[in-house]
Amino acid sequence: MTSHTGFLTTFAIVAASLGGMGDARAQGVQSQGAQSQGAQGAQGTPITVAVGAPVTSMDPHYHTLTPNEQAHTHVFERLVETDDKARLRPGLAESWKLIDDTTWEFKLRATNFHDGSPFTAEDVAYTIARVPTVLNSPGSFSIYINAISGVEIVDAHTIRLRTKGVYPLLPVDLSQVFVISHKLGPNPTTEDFNSGKNTIGTGPYRLVSYKNGDRIELDRNEAFWGEKPAWSHVTYRMISNEAARTAALLSGDVALIDSVPTADIAKLRTDSRMKLWETVSLRLIYIMLDQSRDGPTPFVKGPNGETLDKNPLKDRRVREALSIAINRPAIVDRVMENAAIPSGQFLPPGSYSYAPDVPPPAFDATRAKALLAEAGYPNGLTITLHSSNDRYLNDAKIVQTVGQMWSRIGIKTTVEPSPWTNFVGHANKQDYSTFLLGWGSSTGESSNPLRSLVATFDASKGRGAVNRARYTSPALDALIDKALVTVDDGAREKILMEGVRMVMADTALIPLHQQKNTWATKAGLTYVPRADEETRVFDLRPAK
Amino acid sequence: MEQSPARRVLSDFAANKVALAALVVIAVIVLLALAASLIAPQNPYDLAQLDIMDGRLPPGSASADGLTFWLGTDDQGRDMLSGILYGLRISLAVGAGSAIVAGIIGTALGLSAAYAGGRIEAAIMRLVDLQLSFPAILVALMILAFLGKGVVNVMLALVIVEWASYARTARSAALSERAREYIEAAECLALPRWRVVFRHLLPNCLPPLIVIGTIQVARAIALEATLSFLGLGVPITEPSLGLLIANGYQYMLSGKYWISFYPGIALLVTIMAINLVGDQLRDVLNPRLQR
Repeated sequence: MTSHTGFLTTFAIVAASLGGMGDARAQGVQSQGAQSQGAQGAQGTPITVAVGAPVTSMDPHYHTLTPNEQAHTHVFERLVETDDKARLRPGLAESWKLIDDTTWEFKLRATNFHDGSPFTAEDVAYTIARVPTVLNSPGSFSIYINAISGVEIVDAHTIRLRTKGVYPLLPVDLSQVFVISHKLGPNPTTEDFNSGKNTIGTGPYRLVSYKNGDRIELDRNEAFWGEKPAWSHVTYRMISNEAARTAALLSGDVALIDSVPTADIAKLRTDSRMKLWETVSLRLIYIMLDQSRDGPTPFVKGPNGETLDKNPLKDRRVREALSIAINRPAIVDRVMENAAIPSGQFLPPGSYSYAPDVPPPAFDATRAKALLAEAGYPNGLTITLHSSNDRYLNDAKIVQTVGQMWSRIGIKTTVEPSPWTNFVGHANKQDYSTFLLGWGSSTGESSNPLRSLVATFDASKGRGAVNRARYTSPALDALIDKALVTVDDGAREKILMEGVRMVMADTALIPLHQQKNTWATKAGLTYVPRADEETRVFDLRPAK
Repeated sequence: MEQSPARRVLSDFAANKVALAALVVIAVIVLLALAASLIAPQNPYDLAQLDIMDGRLPPGSASADGLTFWLGTDDQGRDMLSGILYGLRISLAVGAGSAIVAGIIGTALGLSAAYAGGRIEAAIMRLVDLQLSFPAILVALMILAFLGKGVVNVMLALVIVEWASYARTARSAALSERAREYIEAAECLALPRWRVVFRHLLPNCLPPLIVIGTIQVARAIALEATLSFLGLGVPITEPSLGLLIANGYQYMLSGKYWISFYPGIALLVTIMAINLVGDQLRDVLNPRLQR
């Protein structure tokens, strides 16, 4: 116990010495933490952690973005939660069942919001109504509630959701949607969530303050229904600079970092003061190819930079050439330092609806050149490849390496990485021709990426929400529709696998690799690494 | 025999052996940078010549096709020696280019202010004050955030940041010359204003401007390196010294020192040599420091 206490003292001192905790309540928690260790042990201990990706909003329905969702999961809860392997488990709903083909019944948990008001079926109905009304959402959550055609409140703790047709994926969809309180009234604004006024959830932590791009301060919700988190106060910092994040851990400023820079993994693995936690993630890193234009696309030119009269990326042979020109194992080994596995589809092996007969496309520069020639570009092309430089692990390095590999098959490639906020704005407007992105299939099955990434873009149906290339295939859309009404898990898996095969045979996008998620903590802590890559401070505990 | 002023300056300058050595170093660096495309083992800006499988090799390693990386490679398999030679070229071009353009603009404005006086002088000098009251790096960051990346934009940003120092120096030098008899004589001859300013006033204001110029070149190189380090300067596939250092910085903790170390040394030597020469020039050209 003595070493344990000493370690806690370190945290208290570290947290107290960090600036930016101007809030009186936060100060109170700290001093309580510092004074009460003898009596309470871990009861009153604050902790500071650092994540790599900045949070863009505290509105839980603003943007389907993992960095946001992982922050929101501290404050809000979903009806259905997922465990570290992305399997469903009860959240705000204690149980759910199909009572007829098109009606799901959810039994709700008796718990309270942070403001003391009880959580009821009315809040669920309010949440479902609010999701599609969020203004200027860069990635809407509508896709997850679109199947719902009717809401019936049976009693305070029972709600029935009707779907348009047979819809077996409703619990999976609802495992993405955070529940907010109906007390917020009509049209709660994203700004009020960012200021903290609306940020009232049922989760294990209450929001104290949110500073855009810098940090979030959280206090433990002492009335939380589930397992009590170990830390009374959380300072959730965002340090996007990789070296600075590692340095913050090594210097003791923070107790946990996520997205451990690949360059530092080997070193941290051998450091006895640190512990590394990793798991293969559900995140695919891929390149999208503009399909929105039949005419010239802005960043694909002829071999001497001349404008072409059509979009070569519409030609499947060009797409395949670009894909097989990439040596995936080389990227995984040299750029990712093996913190990834080469990939040819949306999900890692072993996932539900993973198609075992779709391997990562094999590297074949000769055939790539032949395909280009066959498509009418024997002298190659000139391409500018865009990416973010602060969002995905090694994003700027990956595109440079892809640029090398494309150059080898006669495609003059320049790369233009830019900060995520700038990049994604352009990507959303179809301003780019080829661009690197990542997608974490947080539901752990292929219907999610099929519906979001490659289904024909249709805002009213919530389909293709992040189909930024505007890829479209009626046959694929029909297959997705079919999968979504197939109740039998085995039969549905077969249809989804067929969809995966169809996407990859058409090279609708170029899959590169599945990241491994890595976290590093100080020794003496245990952490639960999650496949969906969410960083959850309440999964961090002192080692027994 | 009476020495000509240029000869005197040269012999005074040569009296300081350190400064002379620094001048030789600068000459060598400039030659290396100019000849980069001839002597570099690799074109580090051509992605087709890089191989990711050669990434992060320590100094002295050989690539698969027999090329020796004397200073190692960076994370993309770029030969550091070639990277430094090409990087020097960008750094020197940006440094010298922006210093010259800023020098011309700043000097012209400073001289005009001193000669014209009155409202024109007040307007120009308040602008100078305004410019100098902002930290240079902050102004450059704002300009680049607005203009976007690229070598030309970096030069433009540096010119905007630097012209004010020249203007201030030119004005103060010109003010003291303004009252001299030869200016009065020129004015009595009814020479056009521009001729008085640029043919009579300017040559006599040059010594302090040359000193400022050398210091500003060094400053511009450092500023460009800073901007590139912060990711706002040159494109990542055409690294300057600052970007090479930034690329290696994240590997410092894992012991791959050479990616940052050698470009860092190159930057240090360049800036130090220019500053040493600038210091000696100041001593030689400043009449108050004359023996």
